[in-house]
Amino acid sequence: MSLLRTLTIRAVNLLLVLFLVLFLVVIIIGATGTSDKILMAIVRQEVSTYRQVTSRTITDPEALEKAVETYKRELIKAYGLDKPWYTRIGDMLRRIIFLDLGVSKSLQTFSGSNKVVDLIMERLPNTVLLVTTATILSFVIGLLIGVKLATAIGSRLDRALTYFSATSYALPTWWTGIIFILVFYFYLRIFPPGGMYSVPPPEDALMRFLDLLWHAALPIMVLVLATVGSNIYVTRTVVMNIAQEDFVLAARAKGLPEHIIRWRHIARVAAPPILTQLILGLAGSIGGAILTETVFGWPGMGLLFYQAIVSSDEALILGLVYVFTLVYVIARFVLEVFYVILDPRVRI
Amino acid sequence: MISSKKEALRIFFSSSVSKMGIVLLIILLALSIYALTAFPTEYGKLVWNNPKAWENYPKSAPPSWVNLFAKSKLFEHKVLESREPVVFKAPDGTVKMLYYFDLDYDADEFPKFFSMSVKDVRYWKSPPVITLKLIRPDGKTIELTSFIVSSPRAGESPPYIRYQEEPFILKIDSDVNVWRSISLFIKDNYGIDFSPSEISKNPERFIFGSPVKGNLSSPLKGGYRFEVAVTTYDSKDAVSLISLILGGSIYGLLGTDIIGRDIAIGVLLGFPTSLFIGIVTSVIVTLVGCLLGIIGGYFGGKTDEVIQRSSDIVYNLPLLPLTIFLIFLMGSSIWNIVLLLIVFGWPGLTIVTRSIALQLREAAFIEAAKSYGSSPWRIIFRHMLPQVTPFIVAQMIFYVPTFILLEAALSFLGLGDPTLPTWGQMLELGFRNGAIYLGLWWWIVPPGIMIVLTAFTFVLIALGMEPVVNPRLRTR
Repeated sequence: MSLLRTLTIRAVNLLLVLFLVLFLVVIIIGATGTSDKILMAIVRQEVSTYRQVTSRTITDPEALEKAVETYKRELIKAYGLDKPWYTRIGDMLRRIIFLDLGVSKSLQTFSGSNKVVDLIMERLPNTVLLVTTATILSFVIGLLIGVKLATAIGSRLDRALTYFSATSYALPTWWTGIIFILVFYFYLRIFPPGGMYSVPPPEDALMRFLDLLWHAALPIMVLVLATVGSNIYVTRTVVMNIAQEDFVLAARAKGLPEHIIRWRHIARVAAPPILTQLILGLAGSIGGAILTETVFGWPGMGLLFYQAIVSSDEALILGLVYVFTLVYVIARFVLEVFYVILDPRVRI
Repeated sequence: MISSKKEALRIFFSSSVSKMGIVLLIILLALSIYALTAFPTEYGKLVWNNPKAWENYPKSAPPSWVNLFAKSKLFEHKVLESREPVVFKAPDGTVKMLYYFDLDYDADEFPKFFSMSVKDVRYWKSPPVITLKLIRPDGKTIELTSFIVSSPRAGESPPYIRYQEEPFILKIDSDVNVWRSISLFIKDNYGIDFSPSEISKNPERFIFGSPVKGNLSSPLKGGYRFEVAVTTYDSKDAVSLISLILGGSIYGLLGTDIIGRDIAIGVLLGFPTSLFIGIVTSVIVTLVGCLLGIIGGYFGGKTDEVIQRSSDIVYNLPLLPLTIFLIFLMGSSIWNIVLLLIVFGWPGLTIVTRSIALQLREAAFIEAAKSYGSSPWRIIFRHMLPQVTPFIVAQMIFYVPTFILLEAALSFLGLGDPTLPTWGQMLELGFRNGAIYLGLWWWIVPPGIMIVLTAFTFVLIALGMEPVVNPRLRTR
């Protein structure tokens, strides 16, 4: 029961964060006039559809012009564009939450739709696939190496790792990606320079999957490399601190085998703080995804974000900021569920 | 906690990681100071981002040291300049000014282009006549071209000033007169007929080599001497600068980008910007974050509640998407970038210092200070802050690379300050122009290495600080 209560409180907190972000964003775009621009674009779109439809029934150009003008005025009123922006906060919030943000200026989905919601929904799974795979891989590698190193503090391997994790922390993900493309595509020609599938994609399902793996290899390697250093380092430090506790000494005194002490006694206690690290690294992974997707032309939300910036597409940028925050909040919640399960002390 | 500053410094400098970090930091600072003193502040706007300023440079040229590994030697881009002529005065009042330029040619390829630039000519009576002559290693002389500076316009009074703002550039290889004189030269010296139109395809081949029918010929190696003669008709007449530009295919220490900009200069100018953003943001973030944490922890109650709630929310935001969004709306200036990094950066420290302050509040020495009537602010600044100083300094250093990398990432996404050259922007331009797919490594490797190196320096120092802050790590 207390588990459920704790989780509910966490969920409400995270939803509050999401809502607050949205509220701030709406105020900012309202005050800077961006929301007017987005709504006007929707109005223009609807007016031009209306003109096309009515031109079939009204043939007189003057009457048509008049009808279109009236329709436009009605729309402006309906969208509240005749009133100051702060009267529309509620409406704008609803629009963002349901991604009802009109159409993109210059981008289209593969099926030809240019609606913001379609564009984002088409790209979302690709990003989730990339980031989840990379995060899990990096976590597992960090755990395996970190636990091993914690018992060898000060060894040559440990010192080498200190330098490696420092380098890994200092490496900009996107630049690593660029160098990987230069080496593995331009010079060695063993990996493709970008994209998600070959053009045209293979017909056979298995071949398609292999093709996907081949294309995903470099971006995943880059994302793992960017995060694995700090994962190893944190695991090592946490485990080392716990390894100096009395209960570990007691376990050793009992004569338990080292691997049982390592994985049953130490790792169990070390799990929550290591998970905390994973939670804290989440925002970084999402940021890393934006840059990595841009470098590798991976058709996810990050690349879409870059394309939206380059073409100054306000509606699309707004939608993406919302979906990124949403994805982040959901991912955090999932991790916090694990945390509450692992560490009963945080239950209320 | 550490007993004294001396002890802290001793522990810090006992590890090789910290020593290396400090050495790197000194190098970075020295390079920044050099960049700031050697280049004017407006350089970024006026020269770096002005394609006109780079017209005479080769485009996308690799660094000149690639010659060390090349089988056939490439020609390094050369700009020969002269301001001081040898002056001859004739009895009839004409003055002849001779400018000499010497070139030692040892490349296996011909120059890509050849032009002459004349800057700031002033004359009083008749327009000066400028001629260009070349004496080759084989002793033969080519009279390449001559031209007259434009005549006075109606109503203009002396001195007549020409080419002051923009130098006059004569493209030797696309000049009809040059083709004709080369044609004559070859006929006189070798007895072979080449029409000017045949020569126009690649005049450098004839200027710097022997005429061969067909395409194969190699440059004549050795010492060349160019002679520019300016004949003037008044002793006050003057020319401020004459330069000869020989287009090469390699350039300088780090080569050039697609606009012809010297990448070495861009890399150098990146240091101050990068360090400024990293250090300034991190100092402000640390101060704001710590103060809020201590205030919240010390005062408790409503103040604490407000600070804690807001830091919780800001801490839970996805940083990059929001920063991109806000920079997009606010415009990309270095101040906006610093401001946003501060706005999103402070909560991490607030959360940690608050918990430290909560423990400290109960400590006996704080109780004592309270008992003799110290004001809360005095307690915070005089008694609590010094206790957390080593921790704060370590955090401050650890934040520097974070902000350096964030700025570089924003620049790479096209949101960098356009008036300042930054490494991120250099990489963005390279990426957008397909430098990776064309293999222009000299454009994308050096700026990236500088970002890594700068961030790495601070990571090393932060790692070196760790044993000072966390005594458990001090054992071995």
